Amino acid sequence: MEAVRKNRKKNLLIITILIAIVCILALVCLFTGSSDMSFSDGLNALFGEGKSAHIRIIRNIRIPRVLAAIIAGAGLSISGLIMQTDLENPMASPSTLGVSNAAVFGANLSIIAFAGGFLSTGSRTENYLTGVNPYSTSLIAFLFSTLSILLILGLCRLKSFSPGVVVLSGIAIGSVWTAATTLLQFYATDTGLSAAVIWNFGDLGRATYKTDIIMASVVGAGLILFIVLSWRFNALLSGDSSAKSIGVNVSGLRFISMLMASLITAVCVSFLGIIGFVGIICPHVSKKLLGKDHRVSIPASALLGSILLLIADTISRSMGNGSAIPVGAITSMLGAPFFLAVIFFRKGDRG
Amino acid sequence: MLRITDLTFRYTRKSPVVLDNISLSLKDGEIGVLLGKNGSGKTTLFKTVLGFEKPEAGQIDFNGKDLLKMNRRERAEQIAYVPQDIQFGDLTVFDTVLLGRLPYFGLKASKEDEEIALKTLKEMGLEELAMRNTAELSGGERQKVAIARALAQEPKLLVFDEPTGNLDIANEQLILKEILRGTKEKGIGVLTSLHDLNEALSIGDVFFFIKDGKIRYYGDSSIVTELVIKDTFDADVSIIEYKGKKLIVNGGL
Repeated sequence: MEAVRKNRKKNLLIITILIAIVCILALVCLFTGSSDMSFSDGLNALFGEGKSAHIRIIRNIRIPRVLAAIIAGAGLSISGLIMQTDLENPMASPSTLGVSNAAVFGANLSIIAFAGGFLSTGSRTENYLTGVNPYSTSLIAFLFSTLSILLILGLCRLKSFSPGVVVLSGIAIGSVWTAATTLLQFYATDTGLSAAVIWNFGDLGRATYKTDIIMASVVGAGLILFIVLSWRFNALLSGDSSAKSIGVNVSGLRFISMLMASLITAVCVSFLGIIGFVGIICPHVSKKLLGKDHRVSIPASALLGSILLLIADTISRSMGNGSAIPVGAITSMLGAPFFLAVIFFRKGDRG
Repeated sequence: MLRITDLTFRYTRKSPVVLDNISLSLKDGEIGVLLGKNGSGKTTLFKTVLGFEKPEAGQIDFNGKDLLKMNRRERAEQIAYVPQDIQFGDLTVFDTVLLGRLPYFGLKASKEDEEIALKTLKEMGLEELAMRNTAELSGGERQKVAIARALAQEPKLLVFDEPTGNLDIANEQLILKEILRGTKEKGIGVLTSLHDLNEALSIGDVFFFIKDGKIRYYGDSSIVTELVIKDTFDADVSIIEYKGKKLIVNGGL
C-alpha cells in the first residue's frame, strides 16, 4: 500500500513537471517569431500596451497559434495512444481509419474543384490580418474525414471491430482517398495544385480563436472520455477475453473510442493540415518512460504532444526567415531521432 | 450452483454444431473437469458460460438466475476467468490484480477495492511482487497473478482453461495447489479443462467426458475407466492402483 501511494505520488510529480514544461514552452513560443519584436515589447503587447502592430501580432497571431499547438499536440497524441491500445498495434496512428487521407481529399476537392477560400491564405502574414474565411476548405475536409470514419467503423461493425480487420480496412479505404486525390491533382491548374500541396503541409498559422475553440471542445471531450475509460483501456491490454471476463464491453469500447480519436484527428487535420508523427512518437515515448497504465499515459501523452508541437512550432518560426516552414516536417525531424534513442537506449525493454 | 440444460451452439447458422445438447451441473465449491480431445468443444463451452458467445438453444441457470440474461458486470461479479494464453498489459502486479475489481468499481478503484486486491496478493504469496511490472514475471508467477486477479473478482465460479498448459512440473503442482486452496475454503466452484488425466484425477470432484460437442460420460472418479478414456480420446491407457489412488499410464506403446 505504501509503495502504491509512493508510485502514485511519483506519477503526479511527473505530470506536474510536464505541465510546467508546457507553460514555459508556451511563453517561449509566444515571444519567438520573425517579427523584430523584443521580449519586453512582446510582454507589453500581451497586456495591451506598446505599438498596435505588436499587440495585433501577439493577440491575433501568436496566442491562437500557441493555443493551437497545445490543443492539437495533445489531441493528436492521445488519439494515437488510444488507436494503439484499441488495435493492439504499436504502429497504429491517429489516421489509421484513413482520416488524414480523406481530409486531404476533401481539402483538395475544395481548393482544386471549387477554388476554395484557402487559395488566398497560404502562409503569408498579411492574410491573417485581412481575415479570409478558411472554413469552407476545413469544413469539406472534415466532412470527408467523418465520412471515411463512419464508413470504416460501419464496415468493421460486421466483424465486431476485430483489430486486424480495422487496420486493413483503414489501409484500403485510405488508399482510395489517396488515389482520388491524385486524380484531382492530375487535372488541377498550376495554382490550384500548389495551393493544394501547401494545404497538405501542416501549418499552425491557420489557427484563429474560433478554430481553437472548436478544436479545444473536441479534444477536451475526448480527453475527458478517455480518462474516464482509462481502467477499461487497461483491461483491454490484457486481451479481449480477459477484458470481457471482467465485464468490459470490448466492441463497444473500441467503437466509441476509435470514433472519438478519429474525430479529434479529423478536426485537427481539417483546420491545420497534416502534422505527422506526433500521434506515434509521443504515446510511445510516454509508454516507454512511464509504462502503459492509461491513468498515466493519457495525460502524459497529451502533454508530450503539446510539448513536441510547441518546440516544433518555435523552431519553425525562428528558422523560416519571414515565413514559417511546415511544422509537420519539423515534428518528424525532431521527434524521430529522440524516438529512436528511447527505443534503442532505454534499459529494460518493454516492447 | 451452475446448471446447464440442453445447450446447443454453432458459430454460424451453416457451420456444424460445436456444442450438442450439453447438460451439466456443478455444486458450490466443486471442481468440475472437462476432459476431451482438442476441438471437442471445451473452450466453446467455457465461452458460452462466460457470455462471450450466445448459444442457439438451451438454458444456463446460475444460483436461480438466468445466466444468459445477466448483464456483463453482473456476470463478472459471479464468474471469473483465467484464459489459456495469459496476457498482461505491462501494468504492475498490484494494478493487474486490482483490475479484477473493475466490475465492482467501474470508473475508479475505491479504498475497499484496493484492500481486497492487496489481501488477495497476500493470500497468494505475491506481496513481494506487488510493485513489479508484469512483463518481468516468470511463467509460474504470471499464472499466479492471473489467478489472483480472478479471485479478486470474488466470484462464485472460476473458469480455468488449461491452467497448467505451459508450466514445468514444480509450477504445475504449485498452481493446482493454489487453485484448490484458493477456491475450496471460499466455496468457489471451478470449471476447468486439463490435458493431464492424472492431474484431473488428483483435483477433480466431477468429470465430464466430452466428444464431438456431446457429453458422453459424467460422474465422480469412479467413472474414469480405461473404456471411457478409449471412447473419448481414442487412446489406449491402463489404470493401475498406486498408494490407494488411481493412476493412468500410457498403454498404447
